[in-house]
Amino acid sequence: MSETKDKPRLRWLAQIWADLKASTDPALLAVARFLGLVYGPIDRTLPIDQAARKALGRRLPSHAGWRHALGGITYLLFMVLVVTGVLLSFYYRPSVQEAYPSIQYIVSEVPLGWLVRDLHVWSANLIVVAIMAHMARVFFSGTYKPPRETNWVVGLLLLLVVLAFGGTGYLLPWDQWAYWTTTEVLDTVSRAPLLGIIASVLQGDVVVSGATLSRFFAVHVILLPWAAFALLLIHFTLVRKQGIAPPPGRLEDRSEGVPFFPNHLLRSFVVGVLVLAVTFSLAALYPRPVGDPANPFELPTELVSSWIVVDVSLALIRYLGVWGFSLFTLLGITMAVLPLFDRNPERRLRRRPVVLALGLLFFAGYLVAWLAGRQLESMPLDTELRSGEAAERFVPQELEPQTPEGGSSAEDTGEEEDQP
Amino acid sequence: MIAAARFVICGIFLAPAALPLQAVALLQSPVAAQQRDFTIDPDYSCVTCHTEKRRAFLLGTHSERGIRCHDCHGGDPRAFEQATAHTGPEYVGPLDKMATVQLCSSCHSDPDQMRQYGLPVGELAEYRTSRHGQLLLEQRDYNAPTCTDCHDAHTILPPNDARSNVYPTNIAHTCARCHEDAAMMGEYGLGTDQIETHRASAHGVALYQRQDFAAPTCVSCHGSHAALPPAVTQIADVCGHCHVLVRRAFYAGPHGRAAQSRDLPGCTACHSNHGTERIQPNRIAATCTECHEADSPAALAGLEIQEDATRTTVELHAAEEAIQALARAGRTVADVKLRYQTAVTAYNQISQAQHSLDLEVLEDLSRQVSSISRDVRAAEEVAAEHRWEHGLALIPIWFLALSATVLAWFKLRALRRERR
Repeated sequence: MSETKDKPRLRWLAQIWADLKASTDPALLAVARFLGLVYGPIDRTLPIDQAARKALGRRLPSHAGWRHALGGITYLLFMVLVVTGVLLSFYYRPSVQEAYPSIQYIVSEVPLGWLVRDLHVWSANLIVVAIMAHMARVFFSGTYKPPRETNWVVGLLLLLVVLAFGGTGYLLPWDQWAYWTTTEVLDTVSRAPLLGIIASVLQGDVVVSGATLSRFFAVHVILLPWAAFALLLIHFTLVRKQGIAPPPGRLEDRSEGVPFFPNHLLRSFVVGVLVLAVTFSLAALYPRPVGDPANPFELPTELVSSWIVVDVSLALIRYLGVWGFSLFTLLGITMAVLPLFDRNPERRLRRRPVVLALGLLFFAGYLVAWLAGRQLESMPLDTELRSGEAAERFVPQELEPQTPEGGSSAEDTGEEEDQP
Repeated sequence: MIAAARFVICGIFLAPAALPLQAVALLQSPVAAQQRDFTIDPDYSCVTCHTEKRRAFLLGTHSERGIRCHDCHGGDPRAFEQATAHTGPEYVGPLDKMATVQLCSSCHSDPDQMRQYGLPVGELAEYRTSRHGQLLLEQRDYNAPTCTDCHDAHTILPPNDARSNVYPTNIAHTCARCHEDAAMMGEYGLGTDQIETHRASAHGVALYQRQDFAAPTCVSCHGSHAALPPAVTQIADVCGHCHVLVRRAFYAGPHGRAAQSRDLPGCTACHSNHGTERIQPNRIAATCTECHEADSPAALAGLEIQEDATRTTVELHAAEEAIQALARAGRTVADVKLRYQTAVTAYNQISQAQHSLDLEVLEDLSRQVSSISRDVRAAEEVAAEHRWEHGLALIPIWFLALSATVLAWFKLRALRRERR
């Protein structure tokens, strides 16, 4: 009954659809023909089409599922960072005088500049979460074991690169929070063994200054992108060459599986679309607050952090000090070199209690440190915040010592020497 | 054995070198040592017995100027027997209060001697006009302080030396030695709570807690050598040393005229003297009714001023909160902060103009505050609207993302069925 009623109603819709198709098809065909004319000669010399079909038709093991999309999310967020970073670099100026005003210009004057900036900030946060999740999957499923140990180390190097990206990018807004957080972290790292040399080279001055800003910017936009792309190339090549690891307890079997397109590509598409929607939502609803311009002579009254790693670092520094910071770094290094020592092919989690404890310590420690770091809202009013030499040259107003008589002791001594 | 011999030989050679080093260490400065410690002279006998006085004197500024014991106390510093050292026509021994004034003023009233140090010479003349000077010099009241009671007899330091009794943060303690002695003050009908009241006042908080040396101490209002309570007609001028604009407004109003005709004790009528009570906006009318009838025109004007002050205070806070909300929302706040500073200036001018009781001026200023506060809040409301629009833009984004997800999900399910 309902079908007979619906048919006449939908007939006009079908007619519109048919008309639309009739009028659109020739236009689309014209475009396709034009592209074909251009593409044809290229494809004859460079068989791109064939290569693309081969890549898309590559078979993945049937157990490859949603959890294997974590690496893809990381790559997607990395590309969001690249695109938004390039857009930001059109307007950003890396100098003490212009850095802060240029950010102000991006946020207030450039069309959708605020969105580009906040997408950059939120992608930088989400990529850390995605990497940690990807890393946790690889770690607990034991897929870092031979023959994939090299790729585990490359992955950790990529994590380091992402952390370096965030660390160097954090200073670029050149506001009070960026300036003093960088000061605190650099001061702590400079007291840690070995890392101190890198920190002092990167700082380039006795305090965080224009020299530091130039170095951080150069590292952020020139050095690290090359390193990241090189490592990504190695990472993907190794994934492709070694294939996806079988579930624990099964042997490597690459004889059968399902084609990458459309099966896994659709899964990646779904996850990617949702991640992008979440990133847009966070950027639109929770923008990064704007702080006061950096002032080397005055501590900020409150601290607003906008990056997960900064929360973790400050929590380690404030609650555990330089040794806690070093020990946590050592724990990370231990995880990096784990495949060198853990040669047992056993991958079932129940039979790897030591590795399980180590992993839980690292990931749970990171989570706890992040939650603790969120509680920090003020800068330490501590003369230890800067080295002695720096403190002599740049003492914040609140910490400035009282100078009796308004003159130095050297001047007084000089006067006395002049007396007969 | 050989090691012990080496130790002894080294000791023999190093011991004579160590003695002058020890002397230098005692005096802190090697250059100052020989100039300041005249008592190194083996023929100077005073310090043989008066070792404590020697130590105290060397800390003071007079020892730096070549003044010696016998310059003030007379006697024969070359005689090592007390009987001969404490004799002679010039020997005065310990000085009484009257003699101290004469002795100190013999140099400190002499322009030829004081010129080289840039010191004033009017201390004795000022002291004569002070209540302390009147009691001692005219009434021979030995309770009154002489020079050495405030400046110490031997460790005499300039007022900008933090160790000095007359350093800004020490002067109240010096005055309190007598002015907190209830028995002594009882003889003159004076209270003993002035120092504690000052310490808790706005001035005391600024001086002792914020180390703001612009804040007044006892001598700032009462004078140092010419110490006297200000006369009723002088109070507004004393406060007006610092509160210049308030003083001008006060004299322009009816209260200023009343103070000039001795009908009102100046600023202290409302703010008290040592407590310097800050009258909060919601306490203005109550303060007025302490003197005026509740339904009198003056009290009604006070009520109007209170309402105006309370409203502008609330509006200023609202503007401040709007700026914070803007900054949290990632908006640039440099322009609105500038406008807010103008409002703060107008608000401070209201506090000053209140003393003139000129309602027209107050109305004009509060209108400025209201107008700016309204503008700032309007900017925040516009930003909030934009945030709402950004939120609305997320609806199509999420609609597309979820639609794509659902479609991909169905496609994946169909593919899975096909494989089976």
